[in-house]
Amino acid sequence: MSRFRLDPLTRKKFARFARIRRGYWSAVILAAAIGLSFFSEVFVNSRALVVRYQGRWYFPTYGAVIPGKTFGLDYEYETNYRRLKAELAAKSGSDFVLLAPAPYNAYENDLQEGIYPPTAPSFADGHYLGTDTSGRDVLARLVYGFRTAIIFSLLLLMCNYTVGISIGCAMGYFGGLFDLLFQRLIEVWSNVPFLYVIIIVASIMVPNFFSLVFIMMFFGWMGMTWYMRTVTYKQREREYVLAARALGASDAYIIFRHILPNTISVIVTFIPFSVSGGIVALTSLDYLGFGLPPPTPSWGELLRQGTNHLDASWIVLSVVLSMIVLLTMVTFVGEAIREAFDPRRHTVYE
Amino acid sequence: MSGSLLEVKGLKMHFPVHGGLFYRQVATVYAVDGVSFDVRPGETVGLVGESGCGKSTLGKAILRLYDPTDGQVFFEGRDLAHVHGKELRMLRRDLGIIFQDPYESLNQTHTVGFILEEPFRIHCVGTPEERRAWAKDLLKKVGLPESAFERFPHEFSGGQRQRIGIARAIALKPKLVVCDEPVSALDVSIQSQILNLLLDLQKEMGLAFVFIAHDLAVVKHVSDRIAVMYLGKVVEFSDADELHHKPLHPYTQALLASIPEPDPSKSVEEKPFLEGEVPSPRNPPAGCRFHTRCPFAQPRCRTDIPELKAGPGVAPEHLVACHYAGELKPKS
Ligand SMILES: Nc1ncnc2c1ncn2[C@@H]1O[C@H](COP(=O)(O)OP(=O)(O)OP(=O)(O)O)[C@@H](O)[C@H]1O
Ligand code: SF4
Ligand SMILES: [Mg+2]
Repeated sequence: MSRFRLDPLTRKKFARFARIRRGYWSAVILAAAIGLSFFSEVFVNSRALVVRYQGRWYFPTYGAVIPGKTFGLDYEYETNYRRLKAELAAKSGSDFVLLAPAPYNAYENDLQEGIYPPTAPSFADGHYLGTDTSGRDVLARLVYGFRTAIIFSLLLLMCNYTVGISIGCAMGYFGGLFDLLFQRLIEVWSNVPFLYVIIIVASIMVPNFFSLVFIMMFFGWMGMTWYMRTVTYKQREREYVLAARALGASDAYIIFRHILPNTISVIVTFIPFSVSGGIVALTSLDYLGFGLPPPTPSWGELLRQGTNHLDASWIVLSVVLSMIVLLTMVTFVGEAIREAFDPRRHTVYE
Repeated sequence: MSGSLLEVKGLKMHFPVHGGLFYRQVATVYAVDGVSFDVRPGETVGLVGESGCGKSTLGKAILRLYDPTDGQVFFEGRDLAHVHGKELRMLRRDLGIIFQDPYESLNQTHTVGFILEEPFRIHCVGTPEERRAWAKDLLKKVGLPESAFERFPHEFSGGQRQRIGIARAIALKPKLVVCDEPVSALDVSIQSQILNLLLDLQKEMGLAFVFIAHDLAVVKHVSDRIAVMYLGKVVEFSDADELHHKPLHPYTQALLASIPEPDPSKSVEEKPFLEGEVPSPRNPPAGCRFHTRCPFAQPRCRTDIPELKAGPGVAPEHLVACHYAGELKPKS
């Protein structure tokens, strides 16, 4: 329907964004990486993609565990597909195993007799980035850690923004005592040293994924309120809002139909920085050991291993480089959005 | 006054100015300070005064876009200044407002169609198809092509945008529309088109207008009656012709004199003109607010506030707020 057509000004902003090459391409690559990370099981997995065994096809990637007995092995637990591949290849029949490109998952300890982890990168073993101190594949930890971090920071962002936007918008719109009370509350709340609080909480109970999101939201929702308060306050006095009110529009109508849609450019500008903030926060907590419980794959935990074992340089290099690439790209996107959405306050492109 | 559609009684709109360390109130802007006038069904009341005298504030306070500090605004017997919530929203179906800046008063992210359907949407009248049809009727009524429906406000010229604003204001067939300088942001060549459109709509729909302008020349042509404002107060209120020919207040006389006269026999030097700055509404002069600039000011003017009352030797409905009205020697 035409009424939901994007207005030309917004379209112009997106066009301007697309013209800022490095921001645009960073956004494309990041979006692809995030999209693909939801299918990490296909690329990085100890389970095989396809197994053909005695005329039957198996697709173990998703779904229930297939015990070794299915393939004529002598154990009930999950099949070791790497070994199965070797065995079937040795028999040289029509049976075969097609492994994932990186044939390890993030949790298994690939321990071999006489070799002590961490082991250096090796293409023969399929440990393209080597193993960590407990013999887990660094690439697998990196890929799954990325997924955890991204989901974590997107979820945190949604929670923070929901609370922050609602409260900030209400402060700007209703003003008065409500505004004044929340201003003071937020000032006090912002001064709580939240890293310490999390460390204290984490030492009492081990946080899981969702409780960590909740705790971080509890101390992180304030950031958005100031901006929302200011833009709402400005929008509220605009004549088109007065026009709507003069027609008899309710507060809810004005907020949802007029004010929020006009604050979207501001909100969008902050998203990339919130995302990178979330990733950094989670990584530092994990690094300190107060984040997600082990053995959850996480960059912070890898970083700690890496810095403790600088001789195993592949660990620290992998994670530090990944971190740099990711944060740089997010920053490029953020800069480009800011540039495209608010050209007055920054330098002129074109 | 019986027979009035709108009756404003002693309306005050004071804005507190906050500042300092503890956000204390440090001053008050007496933007509108005790204004009374009335509007009859279907008539146009002009509201003139220099910039900053509180015309827009008065217009917005009448429509309850501000909560007035004091006073009453009777619209068909209901006090707009003291109704709330749903009752107020229902009353607003009979009221409309047109703003000076048609760019500011239209939401740039909405299509013209969306903007014109909005009045119906807000009051939940009609089906989506009906609203669409009504919005297209409105476009026709204000002289815009139907193709405007799908487009966005910024694709239009100032005059066209003002037409959109007018269409929105009349959508719910109101009885009273406040026009806040509806043409002063437009090209001179377009001003008369828009004024004629407003007058046509008034005739067709029986609208009453409160027509705000800083220029007496514009108001003179469209108004049945005129209220002259100075620093938050009405200083003279009368029939338009009467005001033009027998102005009683020195301020009105000065405003009239400043209109370029087509009559060449009057020389320029004879015209009284206003000296000095308009005092700040934060700290209005005591007594008659005009005394700092009034060429006839007497000692009494500095202390006593003149009331708005029937002037001497003029029609009974000709009100003026000057101690010496009628006793002044007209300067020509
Ligand atoms: N929200 C507000 N808060 C504080 N002061 C205000 C506010 N709105 C208006 N004022 C002040 O009240 C006075 C009257 O303003 P208003 O806009 O009503 O004047 P006006 O007659 O419409 O002038 P103009 O011809 O320039 O539109 C001005 O001094 C203005 O600064
Ligand atoms: S009351 Fe006095 S100061 Fe005021 S307008 Fe009349 S003569 Fe002038
Ligand atoms: Mg004004």
